[in-house]
Amino acid sequence: MRPERYIMGLFKDDHRAATAIAALRKSSFKLERVHSPIPSHSIRDALQLKKSKVGLFTLAGGIIGFFTGFALAIFTATKWSLIVSGKPVVALVPFMIVGFEFTVLFAVFGNVIGLLTQIRLPQLPLPEYYDPRCSGEYFGVLASCQMSQTDDLVRIFKENGVEQHVLHEAR
Amino acid sequence: MAESSFQATFNDVDQTVLDTLKPPSKLYWLVVVLLFLGVLTGAACWAYQIFVGIGAGGQNVPVAWGTYLINFVFWVGIAHSGTLISAILHLFRAGWRNPIARAAETMTVFAVCIAGLFPFIHLGRVWQVIYMLPYPNQRTLWPNFQSPLMFDVVAISTYLTVSSLFWYTGMLPDLATIRDRATGLRKRIFTVLSLGWTGSHEQWRHYSRGYLFFAALATPLVISVHSVVSWDFALGVVPGWHTTIFAPYFVAGAIHSGLAMVLTLMIPIRAIFRYQNYITINVLENVAKTIVFTGLIVGFAYATEFFIAWYSHNIVEMETFLWRAVGDYSLAFFIMVICNTIIPLLFIFKKIRTHLGWLFGISLIVNVGMWYERFVIIIGSVAHDFLPHAWGLYAPSLIEYGIMFGSFCLFFFLYLLFVKHLPSMSMTEIKETLVKEATDAP
Repeated sequence: MRPERYIMGLFKDDHRAATAIAALRKSSFKLERVHSPIPSHSIRDALQLKKSKVGLFTLAGGIIGFFTGFALAIFTATKWSLIVSGKPVVALVPFMIVGFEFTVLFAVFGNVIGLLTQIRLPQLPLPEYYDPRCSGEYFGVLASCQMSQTDDLVRIFKENGVEQHVLHEAR
Repeated sequence: MAESSFQATFNDVDQTVLDTLKPPSKLYWLVVVLLFLGVLTGAACWAYQIFVGIGAGGQNVPVAWGTYLINFVFWVGIAHSGTLISAILHLFRAGWRNPIARAAETMTVFAVCIAGLFPFIHLGRVWQVIYMLPYPNQRTLWPNFQSPLMFDVVAISTYLTVSSLFWYTGMLPDLATIRDRATGLRKRIFTVLSLGWTGSHEQWRHYSRGYLFFAALATPLVISVHSVVSWDFALGVVPGWHTTIFAPYFVAGAIHSGLAMVLTLMIPIRAIFRYQNYITINVLENVAKTIVFTGLIVGFAYATEFFIAWYSHNIVEMETFLWRAVGDYSLAFFIMVICNTIIPLLFIFKKIRTHLGWLFGISLIVNVGMWYERFVIIIGSVAHDFLPHAWGLYAPSLIEYGIMFGSFCLFFFLYLLFVKHLPSMSMTEIKETLVKEATDAP
């Protein structure tokens, strides 16, 4: 059933927000989102979040970069294959430096691509019911319910030390 | 947070940083305009050199690498401690770096931009820079990736890209904080800049991981970049350069100068923006302690160079180092030794490393000393290498001084614009520190 009411509970600290999250997960209410000004271990544990997959993008970028760096150096060297001072045209030791720098560069590109795709940025306009205070001093927990269940949901928030709550009707 | 009884709240942190973004005074704009005039002076000198030719600088046989290369190495060095503070100390979970991390990262980005200008300036015919880029062309003329100068192109451009992305990524949550408290045009600008960041649990889940990878990748990068810069010299056979100690010596020197610049910037910013409750004396003291450590490494490197010259029985090496100490540039040599290794030892005394005046004064002295270090390394070798009949002296021309002046003005110009328009202290990281301190408190 489509929720009729969204309630944003604003907490002063992450521990209270985490206990509210745990209580909501045990209840029949739907926990929509949590917003916080800082990353919080308590909230992460309460939400039982899986490990991010950003690292896979970083790793893929690094591997691509490593081979790109070497390939570029080897390609350019063989295009102008003069032996200077008896040194090999394809010289792996100096090319290691190019390979290393490209590894880091592409790993960072992979990391950024991973972040943008996983977080889904840019995200404009801002999501519905977002409370700007959540980038400042409050930890916001957004849950949804039917209109008739509003009091029950508010009670869960209050039992867990909510400072303020904001009611939204579903748009 | 502070050593005083001040207990900051999240709101205090936001307010302190937001206050720095209030419309600036006339004095601020006056300083900005003066610095911009300095930038124009540098640009005019460069333009003159482009029209007249590279001979407008003082470089000539045998000293073909003059202040352009000195300033290049100097600014790359300055760029290093930003990443040290933001990445390496982040991995080590050194909480004291949080209040100064953003300012140091910004210093890195601007310093590496300015460093990147000097090879262009030194090139003379600057448009020929395209030959350094590997692109298909009809003459099959490709860059030679066995050359340390090409290592440099790859390393510096990688460092600029990575440090800029690291800086911007780290700033995202703070940009959202400003967006949420701004109105009108500023709100629209920060809405775009913050990319729609809301601090949702999904965002933090990926962000924390991604930021950690950023730090983990930036750490070996920062060490590699100044090692690569050192190989510009060490891979040549010039006496005084051709030594394996150069990479760690340059990295330590870079961090030494960068930390000094952090103090030079932080002390006035702390006073102007009333950051005393966040950038505490304890934070500055920790920077000073690290300067003692890097100063000792640098001093050890100076001594090792002399020892190796003597121990090798290589007469050319011995002559070069003897000449550095007692020859035409001996004044520069002693400025280097005294400013970089002896004066920073004053920070051993708690009274000195906790006194703002001393901290600021010594940081300036180290900056001067580190510039002279690059002078001694570069000029001290090429002016006096293998062939006595080819020895010669070098003095920068007015054009070089103008460009150098312009580069310093550009750095402070960009920095001044930054501190009044973007968050100069990481609100997110300060809040994390507050939570950690509250959790750790007995």
